[in-house]
Amino acid sequence: MLRLSWAGFRERWTLFAGAVLTVCLGVALVQSSLLLLVSASTTSAPAGAGALARMSFDASTEAAVALLGVTLGFAALLAVFIISSTFAFTVEQRRRELALLRLVGGARRQIRRLLLAEATLLGLVGSALGVPVGVALMGVQTWLLHRLGFVPDGFSGQWRLWIVAVSVGTGVVLAVVGVSLAARRAARVRPLDALRDTGEATRVMTTARLLTGLLFLAGAVTLIGLSPVGGAVGGQAMAMNVSVCAAIALTLLGPSLVPAVARLIPARAAGVLGGLATANLRDDRRRTASTAAPVIVLVGLVLGQASASSSFTAAGQLEQQRRISADLVIDAPGPTGDRVTTTPGVASASTEVEVPIALTTGSGDLAYTRSATALLVDPAGYGRTHPGAGDLTALRQGAVVAGPGADGFSPGDTVGVRVGDQDLGSLPVVAAVPQAIGGGATVLLPAGVVPAEQLADVPSHTFVQLLPDVSRQQAVSTLTEVGTVSDLDSWLERDSVARTATSTGVLIMVMGLGGLYALIGVINSVVVAGATRPREFAAVRVTGFTRGQVVRAAVLESIMVAFAGLLLGLLAAAGTLIGVIATTAAVAGTVTVDVPWLLVGAVVVGTVLVTAVTSALTTRAATRQPPVALLGARQ
Amino acid sequence: MQSDTVIALEGVSRTYGAGPTAVRAADGIDISFRRGSWTAVMGPSGSGKSTLLHCAAGLERVDAGRVMLGDTDITTLDDDELSQLRRTRIGFVFQSFNLVGALTAEQNVALPLRLAGRRPPRAEVRNALAAVGLGERAGHRPRELSGGQQQRVAIARAMVTRPEVLFADEPTGALDTGAARDVLRLLRASADNGQTIVMVTHDPAAAARADAVVFLRDGRIVDRLAGADVRAVADRLVALEA
Ligand SMILES: Nc1ncnc2c1ncn2[C@@H]1O[C@H](COP(=O)(O)OP(=O)(O)OP(=O)(O)O)[C@@H](O)[C@H]1O
Ligand SMILES: [Mg+2]
Repeated sequence: MLRLSWAGFRERWTLFAGAVLTVCLGVALVQSSLLLLVSASTTSAPAGAGALARMSFDASTEAAVALLGVTLGFAALLAVFIISSTFAFTVEQRRRELALLRLVGGARRQIRRLLLAEATLLGLVGSALGVPVGVALMGVQTWLLHRLGFVPDGFSGQWRLWIVAVSVGTGVVLAVVGVSLAARRAARVRPLDALRDTGEATRVMTTARLLTGLLFLAGAVTLIGLSPVGGAVGGQAMAMNVSVCAAIALTLLGPSLVPAVARLIPARAAGVLGGLATANLRDDRRRTASTAAPVIVLVGLVLGQASASSSFTAAGQLEQQRRISADLVIDAPGPTGDRVTTTPGVASASTEVEVPIALTTGSGDLAYTRSATALLVDPAGYGRTHPGAGDLTALRQGAVVAGPGADGFSPGDTVGVRVGDQDLGSLPVVAAVPQAIGGGATVLLPAGVVPAEQLADVPSHTFVQLLPDVSRQQAVSTLTEVGTVSDLDSWLERDSVARTATSTGVLIMVMGLGGLYALIGVINSVVVAGATRPREFAAVRVTGFTRGQVVRAAVLESIMVAFAGLLLGLLAAAGTLIGVIATTAAVAGTVTVDVPWLLVGAVVVGTVLVTAVTSALTTRAATRQPPVALLGARQ
Repeated sequence: MQSDTVIALEGVSRTYGAGPTAVRAADGIDISFRRGSWTAVMGPSGSGKSTLLHCAAGLERVDAGRVMLGDTDITTLDDDELSQLRRTRIGFVFQSFNLVGALTAEQNVALPLRLAGRRPPRAEVRNALAAVGLGERAGHRPRELSGGQQQRVAIARAMVTRPEVLFADEPTGALDTGAARDVLRLLRASADNGQTIVMVTHDPAAAARADAVVFLRDGRIVDRLAGADVRAVADRLVALEA
């Protein structure tokens, strides 16, 4: 049996190379994210750092851990998805060969064993390659983390020996799981199907697949429905996950959807080549769906996440613009004290300093301490520059107000707050300011609780309202002595970009690397689809098509499939946009949608280009031999 | 049942589809094949020849009737038992040769034995190939062989398990006269050695090499000729197709 496998390896190496490649990259991505996650959660602040600096360090590694957790989740999701679908596809593509084995007496069990043994082998080879690739990838990811400012200086990913076992286990298990379902189906193939393409062989949509697809679709719809009631944080998370669910659903329903969508393309206009291309993609729905699947995932995930992220950034900015009433903003090291308020022409000012804190919610056994941020404010000034903040008069020494980024507590509760090595004890939550889409400090504290000398080089910002008839220019020039002066709009733009840095970071880390992986999945499926068709191409050529025409027809077919995948992917991304609309309307009061059109254009053009080029190359390779050589050998 | 009957179909029926478009491809077929006999099956296109062969070989489910291979009713066997049957007691040859393209001639021939868990001695496989006149082509892949040679590899593969019955569906259908003659000579020699052969063919010349010819129409056996010459077979066929 293994000899047969080996002979099959040599014969269809592109098929197997593609499978190995997906395992290799999937394992590398998971391994690198896991190692970084472990490294981030076990680093501690350098000895000799001050209490507040240590707290900042902890807060920043905590953010990195959260970011890496999401990255790992996405990497695992993509790996499961792409590896299992690639392996299933390679099995489907060998249906005839397997039926042939059945014809000469292969039992179902033997077919299954053969396929599982192959999957184990491919999984092993793929993970063996994936481990060193993962080490290299960890370098890239660490560099990205530093670039994006997610990890403190000196952070580096640490190698652990046990990761080899995890990586190899992941690769093999995913390969075997991917194959086992397909193998079960393939082993059911009737021997007679080797002689013709009927019966089970042409049934693509199984009940299980349909039901799972509908389940994910229902999940996407539910998430859209729940996003307006999820609050600022929950709503955003739900909206972002809509495209994930929808992309998976549309992929599962692909065999029914993709040919139907591709039918919308007026290929008849392209004459006989277009006719052949349409006929082909309708005829082999399984191939069509498998080729479109990674496109759907790529487009759905990347564009869904990207437009959600940029929409929420824009919404956060708009929201701040509405809520803050100020003419100028001053960035300065440490609190500005009364240097601003005593400047001629200043009507009022509110200085805010954000400091890291350890926040304890709940009590007794349920007490839970986490890193959070506190905004040190002057309640009266804050109230004037944030007119919608409500009554903050109760905010004095020994009390806190739930901030715009509060989560998990509300007025009436008691929370424990520690700033640096200063424990403020249990404080009552006396009020709450409105939640913000862009997030913000978890609690507000009165300015006096932290001694001024501790805050000397903590950045502060001061919102300044000028008197009505004051020369703005003159005020700016005086205030420049205090710090950097900006007008409100440009300051808010910088601030909201900084606030959404986490989601932007997720986007770059996950979507950048994950998108690349999905793109490789796209290339792979085109290669796999083309690698198994030399005979078919030969048959077309002997009816009078030139090699060039065969290549053009195949390229046309790939482009149509890519278009269908793009449309479905955009549909999945649109699901997320509906979630964004619902969330921003509910939380901020107005609908904010910001689609990154440049990215959309790049993804669409890139996908079509990559598909077309790959298809042209594989079809050229598959038609290199003269057609008679292929048709002479009857399988 | 006579003791020298190898395989017998008793009232075998098979209908494809349902409702008004249903096709009765086999309609109550009764026929038995004696050990060492070579029977040709003829009939117009669509008359149910392939269906008869597939049902007899357990490749196709029957709606009614029994197929007795020795003392076994193969219509009651499950998939595993049928698989085992295919690599021990039954052999096939098809018009399209159905060789595994990735394997050499030798590996193709060894396949049923290996599936049975045996590690066949090289000599056994070489002998099977030599018997079909391809001893020196053992290392070639199907695409490096001519159509006639590929079909002879397929025959060697079907015969290597010493099956009780060899089924052949238009084995010469894709071959030119010369290659077809080689294949028929091979089948004649096996039949003379006691091999039971059931062969579907369109070619009266091929049918005339068999011991007997049965004629099908609309899923029913309508005639049987024994020891007829090419002329008689052709005339009978023309009469049927009219
Ligand atoms: N899987 C199938 N599904 C539906 N109908 C079938 C199927 N297989 C065969 N038929 C029908 O059954 C009838 C008999 O088919 P069969 O293949 O046995 O004919 P045949 O005598 O072998 O013809 P030919 O000489 O053309 O090979 C035909 O009408 C055919 O259309
Ligand atoms: Mg037939």
